[in-house]
This record gives sequence, structure tokens and C-alpha cells, in this order.
Amino acid sequence: MTAAFDFHRWRLVILGGVIIGCILIAAIFAPWIAPWSPYDLDYTAMLQGPSAAHWLGTDELGRDTLSRVIHGARISMQVAFIAAGVGLVCGTVIGVTAAYFGGIVDLVLMRLMELLFSFPAILLAVVLMASLGTSVVNAMIAIGIVFIPGFSRLARAATEVVLREQYVESARALGMGHLRILFREIMPNILAPLLVEAAVAFSYAILLESALSFLGLGAQPPEPTWGNMLNTGRGFMAQSAMLSLAPGMAIFLTVLGFNFIGDGLRDALDPHMKD
Amino acid sequence: MLRFLLARLGAFALTLLAASVVLFLAINVIPGSAAQSALGIDATPQAIARFEATRGLDRPLPVQYLDWLAKVAGGDFGTSFQSGVPVGPELLNRIPVTLELALLAFAVANLIAFPLGAIAAARHRRAADRVFSLLASLLGAVPNFWLATLLVMVFSIWLRWLPPGGYVPLTEDPLANLRLMILPALSLGLVSSALLLRIMRASMLEVLSRDYIRTARAKGAPEGLTIRRHSLRNAAIPYINVAAVELGFLFGSVVVIEDIFQLPGVGSLVLVGIINRDYPVLLGAALAITVFVLVANLIVDLAVGLLDPRRTKGSQA
Repeated sequence: MTAAFDFHRWRLVILGGVIIGCILIAAIFAPWIAPWSPYDLDYTAMLQGPSAAHWLGTDELGRDTLSRVIHGARISMQVAFIAAGVGLVCGTVIGVTAAYFGGIVDLVLMRLMELLFSFPAILLAVVLMASLGTSVVNAMIAIGIVFIPGFSRLARAATEVVLREQYVESARALGMGHLRILFREIMPNILAPLLVEAAVAFSYAILLESALSFLGLGAQPPEPTWGNMLNTGRGFMAQSAMLSLAPGMAIFLTVLGFNFIGDGLRDALDPHMKD
Repeated sequence: MLRFLLARLGAFALTLLAASVVLFLAINVIPGSAAQSALGIDATPQAIARFEATRGLDRPLPVQYLDWLAKVAGGDFGTSFQSGVPVGPELLNRIPVTLELALLAFAVANLIAFPLGAIAAARHRRAADRVFSLLASLLGAVPNFWLATLLVMVFSIWLRWLPPGGYVPLTEDPLANLRLMILPALSLGLVSSALLLRIMRASMLEVLSRDYIRTARAKGAPEGLTIRRHSLRNAAIPYINVAAVELGFLFGSVVVIEDIFQLPGVGSLVLVGIINRDYPVLLGAALAITVFVLVANLIVDLAVGLLDPRRTKGSQA
């Protein structure tokens, strides 16, 4: 470990962090940053191209596209963070429990996870949305459930490594309870790979959320999301390309940003992966 | 080999059975809503009760499941709540569309990923590697439904080269069918190629660092031969495993892409089932897609078994 900050090693993480930072700022401060309200209709300015008043033009109801894209960041980010959080927490609990107790617990839990894993993510999310009903909260739950198997596998593998360490053995010898060993000895040591996985989960959550709202199964209009904006924009492709370009570009940049952070962290934390 | 085959088939059947339970439960977690949406919001409680009684929806879930399973095993997927049309024949009509789309997309993904990934690894850290790796990073972040939109915009609206959607069966007019399938297959395939390219590159780099490659190079074997004979086959094994997962992902993504291009496949049937809350339709379509995914995994398992004889023997089987 050198004292000087190794910029080259972290450059991908920094680049991703800058992109995601900008989008987070847009999401948090949307009402102050957005030049217009995302809901205000203006029938005198429908489907306009970019102009000084509307940098990215207007949609079929005369609403400002830039403002809607900025506000759309709110829902995408919320869903991504909460869904990845649901996946991370539930997956970790399941994975750690499976590894720690082993035997039949391990077998049952992991078979169940394998089963969930065998469904394509988007199909699972869509079917869950169908039975839960379309709303933002349900989108978070459905996407979160999709992530559980991935996190649980990772948590299980990492816990198995930690369980072989001497400090866990000494903790047991000292008579520490299960919960105390889990939280004091195991959790802190399996966190790093889980957080890297979380960055990947964020990017995938953004994709899934926008796919769900693209299909009309996520947040409902007039609430702007990148997915439902793309879906409406599709109907006006010939009149205004910007309606399809702007929200798509927002999804693309967000996913790219999270991917950079995930890939960068993996490479920076794992010296073997440096190539 | 026979034991390996039987074990794989057994696992396949068990997973399929368990998957059908999961799908059935996922769709039926909220009881009573099917009748409501089939009959409309004005339906009287009596009408709902009658609807549920005639369709057996008032029975306990396990009974409903076993009844459904027994019928599905005999090829009867029930009838649509909405239109009264049997779901089984509808699925049979739609399966070729989805299969063609997913397989074309899979072909596109592999035709890009396999050679470019291998070249990137062979030209490690040189221009080709950097360009292809960057391409993979960028493509991997593009949502396939956005790519679909962009392709339609460019090739259908601006250039007017290809139709924006619709379907003609392959058996009726192969050329027209292909023209309609190009954009959907590209939308799915290009995005999938990104991950596969990275896997191919990584797996090839790993193989190229092995001792036997150094031996081959040291004894003066031509580089092209070293790559073709010693590296590609070994690098292909991890690649094929990821490709199988990706094929499963493609079968899932048809839900979105078929909708965009108005392809009458199983994926768009899933959406129809959801929008109408038509459970027999949704269940049948979702099960069909799950079967595709599981069969893809089974085929890959068997293929890897053939490529890597260690798999078919010993504890792995």
C-alpha cells in the first residue's frame, strides 16, 4: 500500500462516481434544477424541437423534456437503491444463514435460490408486477426479489471462506453467541465483495425499472420515469426524435456509471484481476 | 456418459416442476382479482362467486395447482378468461416466433462476441483490444428496448430500409420474415454480445497465460495454430456456460422486444395476460418461456459435457 493516491488504479471508479454523482444531484435537487415543472401542460408548444426556452424540446402535451428527464432520475434512483438494498439485505441474510448453519438449512435455502435464479430476471419481475399490481413500491419489491439469489450465493461463498478463519474459531471458543459472531466477526469480513455486487445490481435495477415502466408496469403517468417517457416517445418518433433520445441517454449514462464503479472497484480491490 | 445424461434429465424435470410451483404461486398471491378484472368493476359479488365456482378458482390453491398441472401435462393449458380461446393452441402458434427471434439474437451475439473477444485477447493491450473492450462497455449499458427504438428510428423512419414491425411466418415468405426479424434480433443480440465479448476475452486471456501455451510457443508452433488448436477450445468452455445464461436472458427479454416490434410471440402473450389479468394466458406463456430457458441450460450442460470429458465422469455427474 503506497501513501500516494493511485489515480490510475481508481480512474474507472472516479469516472463512474462523477457520472452517478451528477445524476444523484439531479435526482435530489430536481425541483430546483429543472427549468420547468415536469407536469405543466402547454398546448401552444407541443412536440417542439430544442430551443432556448426548452433545451431538449417538449413532448406531445407541451411538457418540457429536460425537466421530465431530471425528475425521472428521482424514481429511477429510488427504485435502484431500494431494490438493490432489498436484494442485498435479504440475500446476505439467506446466504450467511445457509453457510453458517450448513446441512439441511443450507441445502433447502440454496436450492430455493437456484430455482429463483433459473427464471430470466425480466420475466420474474414482470410476473411479480402482474400479481402485486403496478406501482413504484411494487417495482422496488419485484426487482429486489430478482436480486436475492445473486447476493445470497455471493454471501454464502464469502462466509464459507471467513468461517475457516481462526478468529471465528476463537470467537466460538470464547463462547460468543451465534448473532454476535455473525455481526461482529463475519459481516465486516464479507462486506467488500457484496458492495461490489451492489454496484452491478444498481445498474441492473436501473435497466429493469426502466423496462417495467416502459411496458407500463412501473410508475404510472403523469409521473415521469425514463421508461415511460421512452414508451410515449415511441409514438412520436417521426415528429420528435428527442423524446426517444433524451430519456434513453439518461438510462444509458446511469447504467454506464454504475458499471464503471462496479468494474473499477473489482479491478482495484483484486490485484489478480489487473490485466 | 449415460449416467450423466440421466442425471441431467432428472434435474431438468425437477427444476421444471419446482419452477411451475413458483410461477403458479407468484401469479396467485393475490386472490380474487382474476374474476374482478375478467368481469369488470361493476360485477356483483354473486357474479364473481359464479365465475370463480365455474372455473374452480374458489378451491384451495394446492388443489388448483395440481388440477392445472395435471391438465398441462396432458397438453391442456386451459382457456383464456377474456376471450374463451384455448391457451394451448395459441401457445403453439406463437412458439416458433419467439424461438426464431431468440435464436437469431443469440446467433448475432455469438457471431460478434466470439471472434472479437478472441481477437481482443490475442491482441492484448493493443488497439484492437482497447477498441473492442470499449465497445463492450458501451453496448453493455444500452437498454435493449432503447436500442430497438433507435434502430427503428434510423432504419425504418429515416432511411426507410426496413419495416418498423409486424410479422410474416418464415414458411410463408422467408425473405419478408427475415426483413421483419433483423431489427428485433439486432436489438437483443448487440446488447447480449457485450457481456459475451468480455467473457470470451477474459477466458481467452486466462488460457493464453497457461503453461501449455507457453510450451507450444516455445517449441515454435505458429501463433495462429496455437490460438486455434490450443486456446479456442479451452476458452470456449467458460464462454459456453455464460452464453447459456445469456440465452436464458434473451428468452426473458422477448417480453419487451416482441411488444415493440408487434411480433405475435410468447413474450407479447405474457404482456397480454398481464394487462388483461388473464391468468391462464399469463401462466401458460410464462411457463413456455421458462421451459425455453431450462431447455437451453440443459443443452448447454450436455454440450459442455461433450467438450470437457471430465464433466461426464466422477462426482460432477
